[in-house]
Amino acid sequence: MKTRDIVSYAFSAIRLRKLRAGLTTLGVVIGIAAIVALLSLGQGFQNSITAQFQKGFATNTLIVSSQSFLGTESSFQLLLNDSKTIENIENVTTALPIIQQMCFIKANGRTLPVNIAGVDFAQYQSVYSSTFVAQAGIIPSNPDNETIVVGARIHDPWQNQTILVNVNDTVEIIWPTVTSGFTRVNETYTGHVSAVLNEVGGFSIGGPSDLGVYIPISKAQSFFRTEEVNAIIVQLNSSDEETIKDVSAAIKNALSDQVSVTSATAVLSTISTIFSFIEIFLAGIAGISLLVAGIGIMNIMIVSLMERTREIGILKALGMKNRTVLLIFLGEAIIIGLLGAVIGIALGLSLAEGVARFGFLAIGRGQGMANQTNQVARTDGLTITPVLTPTVFLGALAFGLIVSVVFGLYPAWRASRLKPVEALRYE
Amino acid sequence: MTAIVEAVDLKKTYMLGKVPVEALRCVNLKVESGDFLAILGPSGSGKSTLLNLIGALDKPTEGKLLIEGIDISKLNDNQLADLRRKIGFVFQFFNLIPRFTARENVELSMSIIELTRAKRRKRAEDLLEIVGLKERMNHKPTELSGGEQQRVAIARALANEPRFLLMDEPTGNIDSKNATEIIELIRRLNDEKGVTIIMVTHDQRLAAQTKRTVQMLDGLIVQENVNQK
Repeated sequence: MKTRDIVSYAFSAIRLRKLRAGLTTLGVVIGIAAIVALLSLGQGFQNSITAQFQKGFATNTLIVSSQSFLGTESSFQLLLNDSKTIENIENVTTALPIIQQMCFIKANGRTLPVNIAGVDFAQYQSVYSSTFVAQAGIIPSNPDNETIVVGARIHDPWQNQTILVNVNDTVEIIWPTVTSGFTRVNETYTGHVSAVLNEVGGFSIGGPSDLGVYIPISKAQSFFRTEEVNAIIVQLNSSDEETIKDVSAAIKNALSDQVSVTSATAVLSTISTIFSFIEIFLAGIAGISLLVAGIGIMNIMIVSLMERTREIGILKALGMKNRTVLLIFLGEAIIIGLLGAVIGIALGLSLAEGVARFGFLAIGRGQGMANQTNQVARTDGLTITPVLTPTVFLGALAFGLIVSVVFGLYPAWRASRLKPVEALRYE
Repeated sequence: MTAIVEAVDLKKTYMLGKVPVEALRCVNLKVESGDFLAILGPSGSGKSTLLNLIGALDKPTEGKLLIEGIDISKLNDNQLADLRRKIGFVFQFFNLIPRFTARENVELSMSIIELTRAKRRKRAEDLLEIVGLKERMNHKPTELSGGEQQRVAIARALANEPRFLLMDEPTGNIDSKNATEIIELIRRLNDEKGVTIIMVTHDQRLAAQTKRTVQMLDGLIVQENVNQK
């Protein structure tokens, strides 16, 4: 029998039991859709990480903080002067102290919680030359004490052109300090906005963030009345692993092992690693659903075999070979598997789009707002565009095919082995 | 004339549970081209077993069954399938595929031997015209009467130009008026087209149309008659 006739025969058998075949296909669709959604989101995530690197992500920087990256408490204080110590270490070009505080910014009658970072503008610009860039106004290298630079999302917090802060605006910085027991006291100073930064997007590890507000370090020092810094960003003259390792050790040594040193690259790779673990775990669960779908295929194929025993007898009486009977039954399973895979890929991709558009954006925004603490790394509405790579596409198709072949083989084999006389006698 | 079918000391034993049943004990039979043979006998006499063996649907336990000189007990599944393509089957319960139309049922046997679509279609239409069903060829079996279904089955059996037709009680499930038409059709096939026919029947009217009858009892051929016309 010709392939075309085998396929059309298999189709005619599937059409006979539309609902049953449909439900079985649905099982495959769900499994494949889950896998495709997860993998294409994962791929999208990888891509946005890569994009961060290409956007001038400073791979040659280290972040020195008094606490470990995960935030364990320590009595050690990292001070402004420690940056001088670090600058003397070999291969270090710049050591940039940052003083951060949770504050509020009041402008044009509205108040917004913000993370204030006191930095040396000139140094900061030299380390983050591609991201600490003004879209409006000028970032002065010798700012006066009242100068303020704001991130793109402080300028337009709701991303709908409702401008909160503009260049040349006068704004109030409110620092809610807690003095004597539970009495909250607000300390306030008035500054003027000299620049709005370009949109950075995504992750900021040490570097400028869309939700950041930047003031000169000297002002931060006097306003917050502190010598303690949250972090010192260290720029190296090389980004190779060896240098990063050596300098990290030297810094720890110089600051009596009381600090944690994190490279920006390490942070990103940690995030990627965690995400891939989650991805593999979820894909595993999706894989189980595909296994269940496979059992579903086997189930209906066996039922079909029982119902059509007589038909198989007729086909054999007409001279059909065992191999052809096997191909017909296998063909039915493959049609279900491939159909399920194709629909599943489409569904999975739209699912991923949906999650990326509504889910991740919401999470990203939420985190962006919530993370106004002393953390140096955070995500400001990380945008993920799900990507269906050819590998995922072909892989999903192959999965549908393999599942249907594996689970369709046994019923098909049984069908092919039926004895014509017995099959014809079957009621 | 050489025999198309020749049974030599043919034996077939079934296991019915753990009990062996001798369906055929020692059958000798010769059928030549153009013959029209009816196998008669009470149920359980081994007629259907003999027909299944002649149709290469089953293998003998002992003895030889030669079809065009080839011993079927020496053939494997594939070779048996090839052999069955040269044999036309007509069953008591028609055995049409319910989801296919009359024409598609006839075409099915030709698609197995890989005839092109155009040729299949043409030949199916011609055959359905011969059996008088040209007007109803796009009907499914459930939309056809028993007699019409049996005519579709006969057209299907003829599709691959078989060496002979095997019929298992072809009128057994059809009312007498339709049976008369079927009997007439079968007689004409043998008479006018020279088709060799071997059939099992209880129908005396049908048996009377044949050239020869053999009577079976308890797995043996007990009587042979040549019908004089």
